[in-house]
Amino acid sequence: MDTEKAVSYLSGLLGRTLRIHASDGRMFVGLFKCTDADRNIILANSFEYRMPSASTVQEAAAKETESWDETQVKATRVKVNMSSRLIGLIVVPGHHITKIELE
Amino acid sequence: MLPNNEVRVPLPRAAAQSSAPRDITAQFTEAASKLQVGQLVKDESFTLFEAVGALEIMDSKMDSGYIAPGEDHAEALEIKYDSRQDLTAEEVVGLMDQLLCHEMAWHMGHPLSQTLFTSIYIDKLLWPTPKTIEEAQFDRAPSENRIVELVLRAYCLALLKACDYVHARVASEYYYEEEDFVTQLYNRNLLSGIDSSHFYRLLDQAIDWVENQDTIRSDFKDAIRSRLCLRREFLASVDQDLEILETHSTESFKLCLNHLASVADTVTLGKPVPEAFSLKLQRKLASTVPPRPIVHIKQEDALEQMRRLCQDAIDMQQMLDYRGPSNFKAAVWTLVSRKPQPSVYIRSLLQALIISDSSILGTVPVRKYLYDDLAELVLPASMLLRANLDDVELPSDPRFRIAQVMDSFVKRFAQPFVDTIRSACLNRCRVRRTVCHTVVDWDNLQMEAEEIDMQLQGISAEPALQVQGGDTTFSYPLSSWTYHQKLLQLRLILQMGFELSIYAPEELPGIYWYLSHLCSTHLGHLDRIRTFTVAARKRDLVSGGNDAAKSAAYHRSFLHLERLTTHIIAIDAFAIALHALYVLLARHEVLPCAAGPRAYSSDKLRYELRMKPFLPISLPELVPFEEFRREATLEGDSDTTVLDRASKAITEARKAWEATLANGAFIEDVACSSTTKSAPLAIEEDWRREIKDTMRACIGTSIAIETVRKAIMGAASLSSRQEKLSLDVVIPEIGSKARWHDWWVVPQISPGTMSLATG
Repeated sequence: MDTEKAVSYLSGLLGRTLRIHASDGRMFVGLFKCTDADRNIILANSFEYRMPSASTVQEAAAKETESWDETQVKATRVKVNMSSRLIGLIVVPGHHITKIELE
Repeated sequence: MLPNNEVRVPLPRAAAQSSAPRDITAQFTEAASKLQVGQLVKDESFTLFEAVGALEIMDSKMDSGYIAPGEDHAEALEIKYDSRQDLTAEEVVGLMDQLLCHEMAWHMGHPLSQTLFTSIYIDKLLWPTPKTIEEAQFDRAPSENRIVELVLRAYCLALLKACDYVHARVASEYYYEEEDFVTQLYNRNLLSGIDSSHFYRLLDQAIDWVENQDTIRSDFKDAIRSRLCLRREFLASVDQDLEILETHSTESFKLCLNHLASVADTVTLGKPVPEAFSLKLQRKLASTVPPRPIVHIKQEDALEQMRRLCQDAIDMQQMLDYRGPSNFKAAVWTLVSRKPQPSVYIRSLLQALIISDSSILGTVPVRKYLYDDLAELVLPASMLLRANLDDVELPSDPRFRIAQVMDSFVKRFAQPFVDTIRSACLNRCRVRRTVCHTVVDWDNLQMEAEEIDMQLQGISAEPALQVQGGDTTFSYPLSSWTYHQKLLQLRLILQMGFELSIYAPEELPGIYWYLSHLCSTHLGHLDRIRTFTVAARKRDLVSGGNDAAKSAAYHRSFLHLERLTTHIIAIDAFAIALHALYVLLARHEVLPCAAGPRAYSSDKLRYELRMKPFLPISLPELVPFEEFRREATLEGDSDTTVLDRASKAITEARKAWEATLANGAFIEDVACSSTTKSAPLAIEEDWRREIKDTMRACIGTSIAIETVRKAIMGAASLSSRQEKLSLDVVIPEIGSKARWHDWWVVPQISPGTMSLATG
């Protein structure tokens, strides 16, 4: 991929919703606004999603005991418990990014 | 940055669930690595300026969700504090007082995220959002501990509901976000959907329960009861804050003061529970700002804040009886000029009272308010103001056409006129700033008023008046009135500049000169108005239309003009005296100077900058710098002449201020002046105190003038004219004891010590 292609690929993503996973386990979902050679990413209107904490998972799991099943518990976790909040315009430093997803 | 909009919150979440995401980490990383250092791929509309405002994730100073390495994740997020655990009575009292501190800190302008929303109890009540009062529990389940379940919960809920009312009141009026108040709720809801009756019920239950406890010591019982009662009355006060317009009763606020006194007496009983508050809660709030520390204010400051709020609200009741526009304006202005300035809630409530349902104080239609003001100043008992009332439908009748013209005048002028008094309720810096802007509008309004005046002249066949020099002229009542408003505003710009400490010491001679210049322009204008009112009165008497109502209207107008004149003479004379005094200090180089000797600033540049608000005004024209310089330095006058000028002016000023004080704050109606004369009210007391402070400043000035006279005489006799006067000059800061009045900067002058040693 040469620079020109790289720029056009990245430009194509502008304005689209990205999910950026950070090294501390949080995920940020927002509109892609800007990036640079260090892969620093600016997102607008972003939301922070945090994996549920151990105790809330336990609670949720306890409620789901009827259908106790390895696979279903995994599914339940994300659905019920991921807590989110609006944090607006953010920049995620490139070295803290573990995964980038496109919606 | 986007404000946190509650509606917006669920949307991206739904989107996140609906579409399957695709991992693009590898492609993205590869593409980014091809970019050059410094090269950006960015949205066209996205600016670097905006980028600077982005919060940096994983930076502890910027990222409120950041959890430091080594910090236990569960610990950091999940608050370990159990909000349903049992508490002792002293802890309950302590918690209540801590919460009150946070509530008042919010009233003072701090955001909820640094105050109330750092309370774990508050957080548990508000999140997840309760839909009913029953759902509003700590941790969504009742606590077995009655003191927590009944007492603390009722207290917290009533506090939140009161915040809800305060929030709604402020948000619906003119205020400045982050200057006066932060309305941000961080995607929380202050129980706005739940009816207030539930809160009263819970408080009553709590009060009952406390009464019947034998295990609680009686002093704690009293302490808890007074706090619950305070919450009950405060909730009632802010719940029905506009009803004062009908009831004229401030009973709830008065009861608040009583309970507040008992709360203050028992503050020492409480035991604070610091672990019930946590900064970590900011990690859960929808917030586009970096994490910020918890705000701690002193208990006595919180109590004082609330006490003043209640007292201001109580005193506000005294301006609810409409007794003419000048009295109304004097009352509002005195109230908002209180030091410290009334809280943002009070200033918002005041705005709501001033203009509600397009009437003043809920009773006086805006048109009548405007007409009353015109009648007081320029048009007593005038046909122009009566034309609308006469219901003439014959188009050939002049009154019909006058009514039409006056209608268009009201349409254009009513709003800006009401806004002048409403904007007095802003914070003090904004009051001045707003006037700087609106005075330009008033300049345009004056031209429009002049055109309307000319139309009316023709229709009403106003006879011309011969003035000195043989010229004839007309009264131009509407534009005269407009010009008067404008002159008031220009003066306010200058005088509030003193209050806001915007002038450097070296500017003081010039600004006081300009103040006196404005006053003499204003006095000339009032003379002109008076001349025409006298002529109109004579015509009236000749034509035999002398009824009691007319006489009263003329009487009030003459009285109003007289009072205005006295007041402006007082300001004028005082300004002349201070001007002369400062000229001498500047001349002998003993006036402190803010600008260094090599500063880029010059008198001319400073004048241009300072007079910017005056520059676009066509009348009165800005004095050109050269003329200003000559006048402001009293060029050509000897020291003795200037000294005499100062002494004479200050004597006159003292007399005029005494006369102003004797005139009182309000115009008393002739009819009821003797019957309704009751004890002086708080607002009137404030007004008198202000005039007395001005008189104190006058005396201070007299003394300063004499000190300077002695020094100048002494220097002359020693014939050491080339040396500086041996005087120490200090310009007292706002708030210091020697600054008797915010608007009158009296220099503190004492014989210098340095030159005594050398001479």
